[in-house]
Amino acid sequence: MRWFVSLLLITLLGLVQGLSSTGSRLLVVIEESSEKAQYSTFWDDLEGKSNNCRGYKLTFESPKNDKLSLFQHGERAFDHILLLPPKSKGTSFYTITGDVDLPSSGLGPALTPKLLLQFINQNGNILLTLSSDSPTPTSISSLLLELDIHLPPDRDSLVVDHFNYDTASASEKHDVLLLPQGSRIRSDVRNYFGGDGTIAFPRAVAQELGNSSPLLAPILRAKSTAYSYNPKDEAEVVEDPFAVGEQISLVSSMQARNSARFTVFGSAEALENKWFDRKVKSVDGRDSKTANREFAKQITAWTFMEVGVLKVGRVEHHLSSITGDAPGNDSVAQLGYLNPTIYRVKNDVTFNIEISEYSYDQLTPLKVDASDALQLEFTMLSPYHRLDLVSISQTPNSTVFSRTFKLPDQHGIFSFRVNHKRPFLTNVDVKREVTVRHFAHDEWPRSWEISAGWVWIAGVWITIAGWVAFVGIWLWSEPAYEQSKGKKMQ
Amino acid sequence: MAVEVLEPFLKGDTGRNTRGLLRLIILCTIAAAAVASRLFSVILDPWFNFRATKYLVQNGFYSFWDWFDDREASHPVAQLVYEPRKPAEEPKRTRTWHPLGRVTGGTLYPGLMVTSGIIYHVLRFLSMPVDIRNICVLLAPGFSGLTAFASYLITSEMTTSPSAGLLAAIFMGITPGYISRSVAGSYDNEAIAIFLLVFTFFLWIKSVKNGSAMWGALTALFYGYMVSAWGGYVFITNLLPLHTFVLICMGRYSPRLYVSYSTWFALGTLASMQVPFVGFLPIRSSDHMSALGVFGLLQLVAFVEFIRQQVPNKQFQTLLRGLIFVVFVVSMGVLVLLTVSGVIAPWSGRFYSLWDTGYAKIHIPIIASVSEHQPTAWPAFFFDLNLMIWLFPAGVYMCFQQLKDEHVFVVIYAVLASYFAGVMVRLMLTLTPVVCIAAALAISSILDTYLVAENPIPKETQANGQATSDSIKSAADVIKDSLRSTRNPVLGIYSYVSKASVVGAVTTYLLLFVLHCTWVTSNAYSSPSVVLASKLPDGSQHIIDDYREAYYWLRQNTPDKAKIMSWWDYGYQIGGMADRPTLVDNNTWNNTHIATVGKAMSSREEVSYPILRQHDVDYVLVVFGGLLGYSGDDINKFLWMVRISEGIWPDEINERNYFTARGEYRVDDEATPTMRNSLMYKMSYYNYNALFPAGQAQDRVRGSKLPAEGPQLSTLEEAFTSENWIIRIYKVKDLDNVGRDHGSAVAFDKGNKKKKTAKRRGARVLRVE
Repeated sequence: MRWFVSLLLITLLGLVQGLSSTGSRLLVVIEESSEKAQYSTFWDDLEGKSNNCRGYKLTFESPKNDKLSLFQHGERAFDHILLLPPKSKGTSFYTITGDVDLPSSGLGPALTPKLLLQFINQNGNILLTLSSDSPTPTSISSLLLELDIHLPPDRDSLVVDHFNYDTASASEKHDVLLLPQGSRIRSDVRNYFGGDGTIAFPRAVAQELGNSSPLLAPILRAKSTAYSYNPKDEAEVVEDPFAVGEQISLVSSMQARNSARFTVFGSAEALENKWFDRKVKSVDGRDSKTANREFAKQITAWTFMEVGVLKVGRVEHHLSSITGDAPGNDSVAQLGYLNPTIYRVKNDVTFNIEISEYSYDQLTPLKVDASDALQLEFTMLSPYHRLDLVSISQTPNSTVFSRTFKLPDQHGIFSFRVNHKRPFLTNVDVKREVTVRHFAHDEWPRSWEISAGWVWIAGVWITIAGWVAFVGIWLWSEPAYEQSKGKKMQ
Repeated sequence: MAVEVLEPFLKGDTGRNTRGLLRLIILCTIAAAAVASRLFSVILDPWFNFRATKYLVQNGFYSFWDWFDDREASHPVAQLVYEPRKPAEEPKRTRTWHPLGRVTGGTLYPGLMVTSGIIYHVLRFLSMPVDIRNICVLLAPGFSGLTAFASYLITSEMTTSPSAGLLAAIFMGITPGYISRSVAGSYDNEAIAIFLLVFTFFLWIKSVKNGSAMWGALTALFYGYMVSAWGGYVFITNLLPLHTFVLICMGRYSPRLYVSYSTWFALGTLASMQVPFVGFLPIRSSDHMSALGVFGLLQLVAFVEFIRQQVPNKQFQTLLRGLIFVVFVVSMGVLVLLTVSGVIAPWSGRFYSLWDTGYAKIHIPIIASVSEHQPTAWPAFFFDLNLMIWLFPAGVYMCFQQLKDEHVFVVIYAVLASYFAGVMVRLMLTLTPVVCIAAALAISSILDTYLVAENPIPKETQANGQATSDSIKSAADVIKDSLRSTRNPVLGIYSYVSKASVVGAVTTYLLLFVLHCTWVTSNAYSSPSVVLASKLPDGSQHIIDDYREAYYWLRQNTPDKAKIMSWWDYGYQIGGMADRPTLVDNNTWNNTHIATVGKAMSSREEVSYPILRQHDVDYVLVVFGGLLGYSGDDINKFLWMVRISEGIWPDEINERNYFTARGEYRVDDEATPTMRNSLMYKMSYYNYNALFPAGQAQDRVRGSKLPAEGPQLSTLEEAFTSENWIIRIYKVKDLDNVGRDHGSAVAFDKGNKKKKTAKRRGARVLRVE
């Protein structure tokens, strides 16, 4: 039997060789198969024909293909989608919602915004590339509107920057942006897109991210001198640009609540072979090679779940006794079995959670930045405790975080909750319900242990003793009948 | 020989024995009739009590005492033994009061469960393995037999007539006023409490009569049992002191009274404090203060009596005056001090609502919202008590005629209970025993007078009258010349015609009474609330079983831990039949928690949704009678939800907003926006239009036409609607996966395209990272 299991495992290992933690079926939507060749290096990188084995199984489909379907038997037919912009205007024939009035520029019946959204809701990841050369399909723009990502209203808008452009290829138009790799959007956010290289962004489409959705995060922003304009209508003067400066997001991300990832890549051209390894010249005259190839790898790796994926291992909680004042968890001893369903108020309880981070090809221990913290809530309606979890041990693949604390003096149905949501990291929301009960009748201190009660206890016993004494005296003292009658009244 | 045996039949020693045996047989027959008349239909309700009893039987008394929630898998205290052992497979979750949990042992009256538990164990000891469920079902009928017996005892204390007790027993056995709470399967506290009430009163009268510490102690014992069984024990707590107080005021203080009251008060108070739910209430709450006050008064009176025997009369007057003054000042001072400092709790709301019927409606809507706390309608008295309601005053009048200590008790009881029964429907139950007693006194005196075959012999009566008049002192001796009819001693009836007609009339009345009781019991009090029956036009019976259908759906189609929110009336049923945790149930004392549910129901979706999320609600259940014309639905209860939540959040909920400008409560086109946007309204009428041709939707309860366009729901989705639309269950949606609000997500799903924000107005909102 054992050999069979191991054989099965080996077979399975052979099947699952891709790097992505969720799957390797990648659908590339490309309208003209002739354009495929322009991106050949990109495809090779994804398929892993070179030394690094990323192992995606690419399926190239045209949106016009009637047989294309994202779902089969209600399940996703692909794990990831890469959407390349259609080349020409008005080629598609279906509108998304059946609104006949709109200029029809959809992506076909298989890629309506509803289906794309359903794909996200079923944990599929989408990398969307835009191009200023071709109009954005209405299907895409209405999907982006739902996600609170805004594109310029004019079809041909692109981003220019008169201070950061490639003087070699766009000395006139200034529309090939040169941007350094590796700016992190916030100091407390993990940077998966770092590096020293320069990225060339030819003819990019600006995106503007809405302010309300916490799921959105820009990956690459334009420099403060950039702006978006329409070369046809606004060739002479731009009065009210769609977006300017760092508000322009060239690559933006949306990580849904189920951790599905959706990335908008502002310039499809930047993924073409010609920009992968090209000499560019910045305004101040420095020559450099583009790092587009590496950046493309970073973007696809993040979007297709190769990095920034957190995995929760064992979640345990138990009753503990604190034996000494040694630091950390050394002084904590476990009482009872693991994960009981009921505690009592004011118990000392330890909560452990094991978290790993998937990084390209392996699970690594999660490291929490010093400026950030992994927090545990003990909550009923609202948190009664919100505590930083401390890393107590590490295995090669995971970190164990732990915290010992005293339960609040309130009975009810509580839950241990670790709700860790950070940009670029998948969401961790672990909830373990436990009951916290009141003191049982025999768990209170006995009356004589309470010094304030001694008075009353003494009172009780004195009364009893006095009564017994009185009864004794009453029974044994024979009344002297010869005496005067007045004595009887006692 | 035969003549010798026959001659003393019903007269001498044998006669007494025979009569005793007959009486016993009659009492047993009455008890059997009482049990039998309660077996029309059986449905176990409330479920919670049954579950608690099951827990008690399975886990023992101490575990029941410390019971936190109703996980049936494990024994909570067993966890204290820290042995590493495998945790039981996923235990059942708390079913009540999610997420606050219920300290069950400390928040219920355990008497009912403990009684069933004891019966269960006794029967098992006798090698009669009976399922605990059968005990629970038959407990109320069984105890009603005992109640009949207790009313026989108490009535026999009132009068020498042997028939009065038997009449009282049969009245008590079959009167609808009592059957309403004690049909088979009605497993509520009242099932045993009425027996305890009557029996405690019997013991009290016995102890007052005899001045015996033993009877007083027995009174205290049964009083303690009563406290452990029903919150209505406060009635006894106040009635006995009142009786004592009235006796003292009538100048009837006696050492008998002193002994019986002091014994009862001391032991009874101690006994009542042993119930965790009552705890220190007897010395801290105002409801119990009268008992304490009368106890103190009694001591003073006894002391004064003692002094009067010692001190000459003149000095005694001065002393008495001084004493009364000092005692009054001191006791008032202490009372005020304690009340101000908060040691004595102020009167509870239920108490105020007893005196001012409008009080509850304004201040504590949660009490007023319960249908059995409504004032009683007049026909209800006749419905529940039939002929006894007009015999009742006659019986009370007869008590006045004799006016011994025990008759004073009946008079006080009658006055208080009739007032309370008028205030609350529920308290009809406490009125019933005294009505039975008084009616039995009246009827028995009629029968005793008219049912004598022989003609009275005036001369003999006159002659023997002097000898016997000591024992039966007629009112004529006490109240001189008050009524002409009482001036001469009562002799009897001569005419057979009048005898026959009166007896015939009374017999007819009694037979009608039996008919009425049977009819009421079978038609009004034996229909289970979860299954509705209706008659089809052809006369056949049609069963509407929506409740069970819906509960079964919940049980089969929702995850084990799914939390169900509904109005509290359905909490027990969901917990019992659907086996799912609920937010509030019929026994939730936490007003805020109920108000939270009320707020969620009566607010807009945007307000309700965070509340639902916070409480982990998975499903919301509403009862809607609009299709069938079932008037007990949630829209009709809705105003109570509004009022209760208004009590907690007066800024957010305002009852006025649910009424139209003309002050009408409407659901049609003229309903206010607040009403139409409330979650309850939306859930009730969601998709209801689809049943009717366009614009024809009709609500058959409110009898109004509904708006042409039905309400839209975005944060909930319809999960289940029962056959007759009585129960509608909605699932609470999760947060939108891509961060939209529910409104726009629903709009997107419907295919409404979002308008592009073509030209922005005003300043740009910049994104700051």
